Parts: sequence; structure tokens; C-alpha cells
Amino acid sequence: MKNKQTLLIVIAGLVVGCAAVVLTANGNPGNMGFCIACFLRDTAGALGLHRAEVVQYVRPEIIGLILGAFIMSVFSKEFAAKGGSSPMTRFVLGFFVMIGALMFLGCPLRMVLRIAGGDLNAVVGLVGFACGILCGVFFLKNGFTLKRTYTLNKLEGMWLQIIAAALLVVLVLVPSVLIFSEKGPGSMHAPLFLALACGLVVGMLAQKTRLCMVGGIRDAFLFKDFYLLYGFCAILVAALVGNLVMGKFNLGFAEQPVAFNDALWNFLGMALCGLASALLGGCPLRQLILAGTGNSDSAVTVIGMVVGAAFCHNWGLASSANGPTANGKIAVIVGFVVVICIALANMRKEKV
Amino acid sequence: MRYIATFHSLFGAVSFKNKLTKLGDDPVMMPVPRALSASCGTCVAFTRPFDESTMYEEDMDKVVRDEDGTYTVVFENV
Repeated sequence: MKNKQTLLIVIAGLVVGCAAVVLTANGNPGNMGFCIACFLRDTAGALGLHRAEVVQYVRPEIIGLILGAFIMSVFSKEFAAKGGSSPMTRFVLGFFVMIGALMFLGCPLRMVLRIAGGDLNAVVGLVGFACGILCGVFFLKNGFTLKRTYTLNKLEGMWLQIIAAALLVVLVLVPSVLIFSEKGPGSMHAPLFLALACGLVVGMLAQKTRLCMVGGIRDAFLFKDFYLLYGFCAILVAALVGNLVMGKFNLGFAEQPVAFNDALWNFLGMALCGLASALLGGCPLRQLILAGTGNSDSAVTVIGMVVGAAFCHNWGLASSANGPTANGKIAVIVGFVVVICIALANMRKEKV
Repeated sequence: MRYIATFHSLFGAVSFKNKLTKLGDDPVMMPVPRALSASCGTCVAFTRPFDESTMYEEDMDKVVRDEDGTYTVVFENV
């Protein structure tokens, strides 16, 4: 049983890595076959929630991930509307996950894809990410909890799927109401139905295997259980081989696509992302997948990430290839203060 | 045969594990088996038959009896 599950997550990881390379080869920005943070940011821009003209596009991959997870959960009879576990706290944590990710320029999944493309800045990000998760594990072991979830009305667990489906209809039938970048990363995208199909497949596999970047490192630290980490490694291997075959592998710190080489802020951005994600119980990809399977707390977290992305660009917090901004650095420091305050305020008092 | 208890928080699992250790069991913390749940979390596997009056934990989700991968729910914290 365990071997079968391990094989499945390795296959899922290989498929995700291959899909990422295919999407990049078909138009997505470099090392950005998938990036939950960037794609939520682009989608927020397409809806006019921010006015950064170079990052506005409704990414079909996001729609596919949510609907893929939903379809798989319905077929496997695992769809369950649940929520009520500190939703506003999760919103704020989701907000700061995005602040950290857009400081680094990528979610944990893109971090792996950047490493697979030879971007050594992402290795620095990985170290920061692991440190953030370690801090999160410390709080978790010492009593941090966002309290239990409760069973809810089915409709409550379906709003994000409904929104995703509606967005797909608008994208296909009336794209004129959306805002699309004419230059920059937002203008670079794979064909709509290819991106949607890749999102659907990855969403299904991620639901089936519980693929999670945060969970992999957390479980390795906590239990010496490497199941989720195998998926992480499989993505890296598939994307690395794909990039080598396609001639897209460029080892180094400089001249990397949609990245900068300030080690301190790459480290701190991913540390904030890792810490907040560990407290949430999953990486941005996992939040999308859980939302697709009916978890309204994760849906609220996703909305927090979208709002965070909008603030990042409206207030000049997001980094660019030129490096981090002064506002972004302040936001990351504020993020650490807020997230640690949240951790301390949600500690159970009694000793174990 | 063994029992598996799932929890809403890692802290709940740690508390339960310590409680079982004091009762003389040899509990093991691990990720929740995929066949048991689609959501990721922490569980505790143990051998002592579950007794709600002495083993209940506030953050407990449910307790199942595990017979070679066949799970039977013996307690649910609704």
C-alpha cells in the first residue's frame, strides 16, 4: 500500500514537472510553468484589483487546479464542505504568504521550478523556506492551533469552484471585460485550453496524492517521513531533465528569468512564506487543492492571497527583476511581526 | 491490529501521545494515512483499546481500528 502511494506521488511529481516545462515551452514566462503566487497575482490584475500593466492575465492553470481537485474529490467521494477554523486569521496568513512569495518572486512550487532551471537564487530561497517551516513546526509542537473545522452546508464548500467556473466562462466568452497585459510576464502565456488541461490534470493528481511543498519538509522534520518530499523531488527531476532537453537550463545567480539575486531578501521572502504556510498547514498549491475539495477555510486563505497580491502591486511591495523595493522590505518585516503575533496569540496554554 | 487517532492540531496529537505513554502504551506519531483522509494532518497509532473516559482529547477528530488497512470508526468527536 505504502509503496503504491509512493509510486503515485512520484508519478504525480513527474507529471507536474513535465507539465511545467510544456507550459513554458508554449508561452509561459521562464521557470514559470506553474506559480500559484504569480498566477493569482496575474488573475487579480486581470480583474482590475491592481494596475500593474505587466502582470494582468486570468491564468487558466489556477481555474484548472481548483476544478481538477473538485472533480477528483467528487469522483472519489471525498468532497466535504468544512470550515470554521479561524477564517479571518487564515485570510491574514494568506495575505502574508503572498507578501513573502512576491518578495522572492514565486511560490514554493515555482521555487522548485527555478532550481530546476538552474536559478541558484532559488536555492537560497529554499534554505529560507525550510527555516520558515522549522519555525512554524516549533510553534505547532508547542501548542499553536487554529482550532477545529466543522461540517458545513455543501454550498459553503463550493464558492471558489463556482467563482473559478464563472471566471472560465468570462475568459472564453467575454474576455473583453478583463484586462490583459500587452508586454511583460502577463503577456506571456500558453494557449488557454492547454493551460486549463494542465491545471486540471495537476489538480486531480495533487488531490489524490496530497502533494504539498510545505508538508514535505514538515513531515521530514517531524516524523522522518519522506512521502511528500518524493513528490517535491520528482518535480525537480522532471523539470530539470525537461529544461536540459529544451536548452532552457542556465546555471547561476545572474540573468535568471523573473528573478533577482539579492540573497538576503530571497531568503527572508521565502522564510516568511514558509512560516505562514506551515501555520496554515499547507503551501499555496495545497490551499487551492483543499479549497477545491470543499474546505472553505482554504478558500478564504486563497482570497487572502489574492488581496495580498493586489496590495503588493498597488503599494509597490512586489519585487521585480531589478530587485526588492524598500516598501517590500518593510512589508516582509511587518509580515514576520504579524505572523509571529498570530502564532503566539493562538497557542494553547496548557503544557503537555 | 492497532488504533489510529486523528487530530485537528499537531498539539492535540502530541498531548495524546504523551497521555498514552503515561498509560504504558508505545504510541507512534505519523502523517495521517491517505486511505483514512484526503486532508493532511498528524495521527497517533497505538495498541491499547480506545477508552473515551480516559483517552479523550479535546482536539481529537476520530479514532479508527486498523485491521491490515481496513478502518472501522470507533469514536468520532462531532
